[in-house]
Amino acid sequence: MNGPTMAWRWPSILVATVLTAALAWAPPAGAEEAAREAAYRAFPLIGSRLAVWAVAQLHLNFAAFILGCPIFAVIIEIIGWRTGEERYDWLAHEFVKLTFAAFSTTALLGALLLFLFVGYYPRFWTYMTSIFFPTYWVYALLFFAETFIVYLWYYGWDWLAGSRKWIHVGLGVLSNLVGTAILFVANSWVTFMISPAGIDESGALRGGVWAAMNNFTWMPINIHRLIANIVFGGTIAAAYAAFRFLSAETDEERARYDWMGYVGNFVALAAFIVLPFAGYWLGREIYAFNQTMGITMMGGFMSWLWIVQAILIGILFLGSNYYLWLGMERIPGSERYRRFVPPMLLVLTVGFMIWATPRSMVVTLDEARAMGGTHHPFLGFFGVMSAKNTVVNLMILTTFLSFVLYRRANRESVRPWVRTGMGVQWAAFLAAAAVVVFYGVYGYFVESIVRIGFSVYQVLAVLACIVVVMAIDIPMFRGARSTGAIRWGTIAPRSQYVLILLAVTFTWLMGLMGFARSGIRQHWHVYGVLRDTSPDAVTPALGYAANVITVVTVVFFALVTFIFWLGGLGEKGRARHSRPAAAAAAGGSRS
Amino acid sequence: MRLPVGVKVAFFALLVMGTYTYFANSIPQIESRPPQELSLEGGNVTPAQLVRAGEEIFKTKGTCEVCHRIGQKGTRAPDLAGIGARAARTRPGQSAKQYIIESLLQPAAFVVEGYPPIMPAVDRPPIALNRSELWALTAFLQSLGGTVDVTLDDIPKTAAAGAGAAPAEVKLPGDPRAGQAVFAGKGGCVACHVAGKVGAGKVGPDLSQIARIQTPDYIMRKILDPAGMGTVAGYPGGVMPQTFGQTLSAREYTDLVAFLLTLK
Repeated sequence: MNGPTMAWRWPSILVATVLTAALAWAPPAGAEEAAREAAYRAFPLIGSRLAVWAVAQLHLNFAAFILGCPIFAVIIEIIGWRTGEERYDWLAHEFVKLTFAAFSTTALLGALLLFLFVGYYPRFWTYMTSIFFPTYWVYALLFFAETFIVYLWYYGWDWLAGSRKWIHVGLGVLSNLVGTAILFVANSWVTFMISPAGIDESGALRGGVWAAMNNFTWMPINIHRLIANIVFGGTIAAAYAAFRFLSAETDEERARYDWMGYVGNFVALAAFIVLPFAGYWLGREIYAFNQTMGITMMGGFMSWLWIVQAILIGILFLGSNYYLWLGMERIPGSERYRRFVPPMLLVLTVGFMIWATPRSMVVTLDEARAMGGTHHPFLGFFGVMSAKNTVVNLMILTTFLSFVLYRRANRESVRPWVRTGMGVQWAAFLAAAAVVVFYGVYGYFVESIVRIGFSVYQVLAVLACIVVVMAIDIPMFRGARSTGAIRWGTIAPRSQYVLILLAVTFTWLMGLMGFARSGIRQHWHVYGVLRDTSPDAVTPALGYAANVITVVTVVFFALVTFIFWLGGLGEKGRARHSRPAAAAAAGGSRS
Repeated sequence: MRLPVGVKVAFFALLVMGTYTYFANSIPQIESRPPQELSLEGGNVTPAQLVRAGEEIFKTKGTCEVCHRIGQKGTRAPDLAGIGARAARTRPGQSAKQYIIESLLQPAAFVVEGYPPIMPAVDRPPIALNRSELWALTAFLQSLGGTVDVTLDDIPKTAAAGAGAAPAEVKLPGDPRAGQAVFAGKGGCVACHVAGKVGAGKVGPDLSQIARIQTPDYIMRKILDPAGMGTVAGYPGGVMPQTFGQTLSAREYTDLVAFLLTLK
């Protein structure tokens, strides 16, 4: 499979890996000598900071995709293997194909990032090497392992079919374990820069490297990135499917990519719902590490960044729900649930507006005098965390309700206890919403140190609701009566633009969060330890950051389009010369 | 004319990103600039100048305003209105300046009831105020309802030992002994400065503890661009030559810096 394309991918992967390893394994003493000559060098025209920023973000985007996509690809492959439905196997292969195409670009961008650090930030790199040198070996070895496993997984798809499928699935699982290990190692470097640990007052490593790796923000970022990678992989795969849907020339092709887009969005949405919880944990650990850093992040010069973030996440919520509602139109029997759409839209819209309400308004002096300050006398109440935490939890609950309704759109339970089951489900929703609102309102009447703890109760209430509802829903609709097969391919074309909107928005959001993660260190390479004394030590304003993020996102999508187009060339060639494209994918199904 | 799907999708994606970018550019634009080092060592500073410098530190490098308000009750930290008078009564046996200095350097020693113990020692990284800055900040806090009587000698010599210095920075390769010779000889520094037992000049500040109160970065820049780095309060400006970058070799320069970094 894919023999012709293999020839050019192998050398690029190997070159990137060998170069990475060669640079990573350069003796620390040599790097130190280099650092003595210059702490910084200037990158031509755009400056070193911008060069590192752009390449790092591009590398992160690609890495997130190639680490996230295989996680759900292998799950889909397992579903296909256990159910015997070939369309799942086709879909898993399609997802891995996208991953595979982006693999070498990720490695090359990683190598380029390393060159930039070594060349333009030698003192910083020397210091990081003095702490993390042993992990470079681990990273390089893991990268080799990941490369060979993913190659075997992809190229062995036909070879390891039938009775040997379990070996193939095992390779997929193994590639994900190794990929996650790579993520964890790289995260230890990034998080050490934010919340250094395991060092003495002079900044030298005290004890083993594990103490530096296991810093305050390491595990929260590991989990946050792992979940975010799945969301990102899902949105990119869904956007790819949307593009193929819009370009499709046959109903069969349209049906196939409609289904692929749905699965991609489902994966993204399922992971997205729990992402804010990982975000809470990360935020709490940042406060635990250093209150000043936490307060600077949320209430200092970065406070407006969270308004932009709120808008982006609000769009993701609205877009995901809108896609589900549009999707229900191609499901016979879904008419029963359309009456729920207006109230859900109302909750999402009001929640969006409250979440995006700033605490301090940008006003003229006269307006400030009229209001009695920069806080609006009424809207100001919605600009605080009590209100924002409340609405985001309600939005998560609403999105979950959308999903539950979509899931049962063409199904009628035949269980005798269906009324009781549904009653308990509704009670779970109402109880969770009541807990969320209660602690949201109560939060206005207590000190901040108490209020911070309330978000935990709100999150637990929502998670409990999700667990209870699904625990009832799965058995309740097992063996359900169908009201008709989903008419794949008949969804409104505007739904596909929603999928593209979600992919673009999430990619832009990743860029914004990358800026936030880096920006909270302010003028420190390693917070409180290694100061940034370069001319670029200023942390730029949001407008400048937005310009950079947009350019990086445009470049990312241009590269992704080009890479997928290249992958498609091979597909066209094979379609002419060998087997026909998998046609089973769009078989009428209820899922 | 029917537009290709690729063009429509690209236009849509650009429109979405353009909207986000426009919005991000239309809201308040705040940069975070690295704090400047303040040096008042050996200078003749009036209390008013000191208070003004302290207020600046309060609002910028000290990041005090993140939690403390003046004249407004905060949820994270006490209101500092009237702290200059209140400080003298808070802990028996402590004067106002002693209490304030202790609060800055050892915040956990006494925590005001009802507030969490979240304040960091401000002479340690990442805030890392130097002795001059601690002096000015204390003066500013005293001025809030009290009398400014703090002197530089009130700030413990052990304070700010690591202030501003990046402990993990790579040590400079220069030879301090050779640097001392440059200081006393080719550099001509002794004409204006004292460095411990070396030199007796009074035209410029006493450098005997310069490594304790200033960062290596400041010292390196100051030699190459004295005017650009500002003049220490109380000393005449424009006296220090701008030509060390040309007259000293790279080796002599690194030796000189290495010598100055030994002055603690």
